[in-house]
Amino acid sequence: MDALTVIVVSSYALASVLYFAYHAAPGAALARTARLLLALGFVVQIVDIALHCLRGAHPASSGAEALVFIAWLMAGGYLIATVRYRLEAGGAFAVPAALVLLLLARVVPAASGPGSPAAIGTLGLVHVFLAMLGVALFALAAVIEGLYLVQERRLKRKELGRLRAGGGVPLDLLDRLAARCVSVGFPVFTLAIVTGTVWIARLGVLRGGGMVRPEYVLAVASWVAFGVLLVARAGAGWQGRRAAWLTVGGVFGVLLAALGYVIRTVA
Amino acid sequence: MELCLIGLSHRTAPLAIRERLAVLSGEVEPLLRALLTLPEVTEAVVISTCNRVEVYVASADGAAASSAVRDHLRQRFDEQVGGELGVERHLYERVGRTAAHHLFRVTASLDSLVVGEPQILGQVKEAFDLAIRMGTAGPLLGFFFPRAFRVARKIRRDTGIARQPTSVSSVAVELARQVWSGFEGRRVLLVGAGKMADLAARALRAHGATVAVTNRTAARAEELAARLGCEVSPFGELEHALTRADIVVTSTGARQPIMGPVLLERVQKSRRKRPLVLIDIAVPRDVDPAVDDLEGIYRWDIDDLQHVAAQNLEDRQQEADRAEALVEEELSRCLSAQRSRAVGPTITALRARYLGVARTEAEKAATAAGGLDERSRRALFAAAEAIAAKLLHAPQVALKKGSGSDEAEALLAAAHALFDLPAVEPLVPDREDADAGDEAEEERMLAATSSSRGGGASDEAEVSKKASRW
Repeated sequence: MDALTVIVVSSYALASVLYFAYHAAPGAALARTARLLLALGFVVQIVDIALHCLRGAHPASSGAEALVFIAWLMAGGYLIATVRYRLEAGGAFAVPAALVLLLLARVVPAASGPGSPAAIGTLGLVHVFLAMLGVALFALAAVIEGLYLVQERRLKRKELGRLRAGGGVPLDLLDRLAARCVSVGFPVFTLAIVTGTVWIARLGVLRGGGMVRPEYVLAVASWVAFGVLLVARAGAGWQGRRAAWLTVGGVFGVLLAALGYVIRTVA
Repeated sequence: MELCLIGLSHRTAPLAIRERLAVLSGEVEPLLRALLTLPEVTEAVVISTCNRVEVYVASADGAAASSAVRDHLRQRFDEQVGGELGVERHLYERVGRTAAHHLFRVTASLDSLVVGEPQILGQVKEAFDLAIRMGTAGPLLGFFFPRAFRVARKIRRDTGIARQPTSVSSVAVELARQVWSGFEGRRVLLVGAGKMADLAARALRAHGATVAVTNRTAARAEELAARLGCEVSPFGELEHALTRADIVVTSTGARQPIMGPVLLERVQKSRRKRPLVLIDIAVPRDVDPAVDDLEGIYRWDIDDLQHVAAQNLEDRQQEADRAEALVEEELSRCLSAQRSRAVGPTITALRARYLGVARTEAEKAATAAGGLDERSRRALFAAAEAIAAKLLHAPQVALKKGSGSDEAEALLAAAHALFDLPAVEPLVPDREDADAGDEAEEERMLAATSSSRGGGASDEAEVSKKASRW
């Protein structure tokens, strides 16, 4: 790992520890310090990504770089959400998730992905970027829904001490934010699937590869789950716990698909 | 000059005594005028709230002023209630540092019945403003009161003494806020006509919620609705009303729960499992605890609310310890500033007196010598002034050094006696904190404090507003 990556990993790791501490015993100073560390990691990471791009290792060049970019999007998305909606309690979910993605990306061997932008082609680039954006938005939705489930359980169990200490975020706000992330992420991910299908079809024709791989099936299944969720929210008024579990399940599928892609590019 | 305080409060006198000794708003001005007729008193401020009557005075002789004001109050109270209450034993007095310390604690709401309540700061400001308008507050009270306001604001900002609500109704609002981020447009259903539920509904309505009332006795529902300015929902249509509500505050006198799992399951089905907050203030309870298993139902009963209120009060007490330390720190700074402030005019008087003497003597010497040219005259005057300045150097340094110590007043008195200095002209009251800008800032701060805490002490505020000036 180079110096910048070490700074990013350290910042995210320290911020994760502080957010865990905040989750256990909320305090304004903890939240403030954690947010500062996260912001530091976020800024340094974009510099790191830019330097990698200059060396040809852009986010679409390999599964590892894609994971790094998704981690950065997640960290940024959470940073905005916590500044705008005071979602400090969600830091214990979002920041460790970004950290895990980053570590996964940096510990896997040097990638043997599609290669330079010229080799991937415009369609491939569009597909990879849309997929990364979609995954990041879904992951953010899952983080918010995770927070919803924790908050909901605390309310049901009447753990009023923690809520009193300022750790609680209103349920309706969490539900609304998660729905917003999914409703923006869904069309983005739909476009990613469409462009990806066309892209691999072309590659398949050109190179004689197969069209059906487990990660593709997982990605499409997750996409269907999110589609069902959106329809159920709009039509049947689904919200709360059921919507939260479906979001978490969908994101699990999407992340597995992304992981499958990373493993395949390494193998 | 010394600051003195004589008064009684909820700590020394029960309500039955306080209500009989109250100084009503129209009686404060005559009392201030009467206090100024006492020879020992040079300045006065009267604070009168439902929890205290306190008289702050400035005097050259603190002990004598305390005694005179105490006699005056005792006489006044005895006339008011016929002397049978034994007013004397309820009165307390403080002089000097302890009086300033008490003023700072009172203004910062550390001496209040509910620590951290927001009204007292405004009440003390009103009392001081009245004294300023009437000209009964001078340099000493004008020095201490604005500093007390500053300390109170600092404590509200830097500690958590006002952060958590402590009344059942404001805790109910706070808990509802865990489910609904805002109450604008939310529907609150008030079931029953209990006082607590009434307060909780008022607090929610103050945050923008729409309230509807239902009660077994339609007349009582209508009466309450007229009082709250809201609509009435027939008790027979409770299920329909529940379906439309987001928050239910219930406090009927029913012996059995009126809302059970069967009813609420139907309601939740109609509501598509949308969250429903149930605040059950009734004893016996109106809502069967078995409804907790239903999705989207969040129920709190009186025990839950009281538990949170008690914990909040405990938190406030802990924060109060931090606030006490701040009061001590600010008080030391303030007293030191007061002593330094008194040194300036004394040094000016000292210099004026001795440079004046030097010039007069130089003039005499010049006249006696006769025929001195302008250059020689200037040299003579300069020498005289330089001698005076050199002689004054040591006492000036000693006064400045001693200004921050406990012996400052003795030192100043000695300087005035030894150098035969005239009395220093009193300074105008320090009004820097009593101007409109600061008041507006304070109002904003208090409003933000209560709204950001989900109404915080909003019902306390309402009750206190009614009773604040008797």
